[in-house]
Amino acid sequence: MSASPLTLAIFCKVVDNYGDIGICWRLARQLQREHGVAVTLWVDDLASFRRICPAVDTDKAGQVVENVAVRHWRGQDDDYAPGDIADIVIEFFACDIPPRYIEAMTQRMPRPVWLNLEGLTAEDWVEGCHRLPSMHPRLKLTKHFFFPGFTAQTGGLLREAGLEEERQRFLGQPGQARDFLRGLGLPDAEIDALKVSLFCYPHAPVAALFAAWQHGSEKLTCLVPEGVAAEAVAAFLGAPAGAGAVATRGALTVRVLPFVPQPDYDRLLWACDLNFVRGEDSWVRAQWAGKPFVWHIYPQDENLHHKKLKAFLNRYAADIASLQDVMLHWNGALATAADWPALWSALQADRDRIEARSSEWQARMLANGDLASNLLVFAASLR
Amino acid sequence: MKPAKEIRVGNIIMVDEKPFIVLRSDVNGSSRTGFTYKWKMKNLLTNAPLENVFRGDDKFDVVVLDKKPVTYSYFADPLYVFMDEEYNQFEIEEENLGDALHYLKDGMACEAVFYDGKAISVELPTTIARQVVYSEPAVKGNTSGNVLKEAKIENAIEAHQHIVMVPLFVSQDDTIEIDTRTNEYKRVVRN
Repeated sequence: MSASPLTLAIFCKVVDNYGDIGICWRLARQLQREHGVAVTLWVDDLASFRRICPAVDTDKAGQVVENVAVRHWRGQDDDYAPGDIADIVIEFFACDIPPRYIEAMTQRMPRPVWLNLEGLTAEDWVEGCHRLPSMHPRLKLTKHFFFPGFTAQTGGLLREAGLEEERQRFLGQPGQARDFLRGLGLPDAEIDALKVSLFCYPHAPVAALFAAWQHGSEKLTCLVPEGVAAEAVAAFLGAPAGAGAVATRGALTVRVLPFVPQPDYDRLLWACDLNFVRGEDSWVRAQWAGKPFVWHIYPQDENLHHKKLKAFLNRYAADIASLQDVMLHWNGALATAADWPALWSALQADRDRIEARSSEWQARMLANGDLASNLLVFAASLR
Repeated sequence: MKPAKEIRVGNIIMVDEKPFIVLRSDVNGSSRTGFTYKWKMKNLLTNAPLENVFRGDDKFDVVVLDKKPVTYSYFADPLYVFMDEEYNQFEIEEENLGDALHYLKDGMACEAVFYDGKAISVELPTTIARQVVYSEPAVKGNTSGNVLKEAKIENAIEAHQHIVMVPLFVSQDDTIEIDTRTNEYKRVVRN
């Protein structure tokens, strides 16, 4: 008789439409597939989940998707028994776990390992808080903070074991990227142009960037998921920005893509020459894609996100001024007006250096291990 | 109940039904869910130090403890005995006295801290004066920069004799002021 698998519950509250569930879903699948953990993913927004994983049925309170138990987290008032509690409980991004789930955690023996999986930041303070305990003020429970990050003193980055092999296979077989892009509706002329994927928050200066590309000397295809930068895209198209809509003005072709499942988004990042990404999930995937990328960070009050952006740039591109300038202007982190044609031109001039940096960075990040494995090792040390 | 973001260094909070004093608070931003508070705390019952990290919205009971002026009387192994103005005696365990052990001196004035009717610790004045009982003479020529030397200061318990780093000009039998929060030399007291 085999031992029961380790059980793990992830609580995910969706705030940033696809990033939260994107990270949790990747983590859940990886823990199940690579480590044999029986994972239950509690998520409050099944509709967002369905956009990145079409197999999800938004009407079901409970279902199994790719061997992960998915439960609709409907609110804070449900009752839970000690038998409902997993061996490891993860609150993602410090979301509030239902109070009666926490009460049941105190009654379960042995007590579960309780982790707050925090957001990714390159700031130094994370190393000092990673894995620290957080005693519950009233109950005999201790939570631990677990921070992803870019150094060996943090939890590392999410990365599936076979991701790099898969990417190499995709890029190593002539025609794979072309076939993939054709499948998204691109004709050869668009595939042969410089290809840029664009994923950003609505306040990004997309119109100004489009203008720079439109009047540039190099043919450029910009691929935008449906619903992203909808206003600027519709203005460029002169028509609603529905999936399949396309227009060419000057050197720029903008094409609206349907929202693709996570594995196809990886392929899109691999197939493009430059990726504009946003939030945390696509940002990390862009780093593993090994292609130049521009990050649009989730905005915070009092521009705290600018500090986070600068901390990352200090680690990633301290010596590449063009990339710094583009990312800072893209995020409104500089007081000076952005000259997008000049910014774009400088970025293009540094393309080789930036590509080399992408590869070096990957190698450095690989040395930190992967988040899911690091998390399980830490949980085991607490059990 | 107070949220972590409103709790200050020096506050005493209840965690798992035990009183902790917050000794240091580092506030770190940029988490999407708000700030992260990293606290150095000390369990007032055991004196055990620990580091914890909290979300700004985590709520704590804040405790106001009773304090009473006392003087140090004597050591009744393994307890240290203090006396108030009405000659009531209070015994405190060694591990609860922490750095105060370095400065205990017969008749020394301090404040006993009470939790649940029991004296659990003493608070020293921020600055105290103590005589240097031994320090090597300064070596001639060794005067550049912030060169310091060791000085033993007077106290009641030999086993807890304290070494303070002092400037070279401090001599044996000098009286020096020490900051009890940092255990560091402040200045020489000249009569």
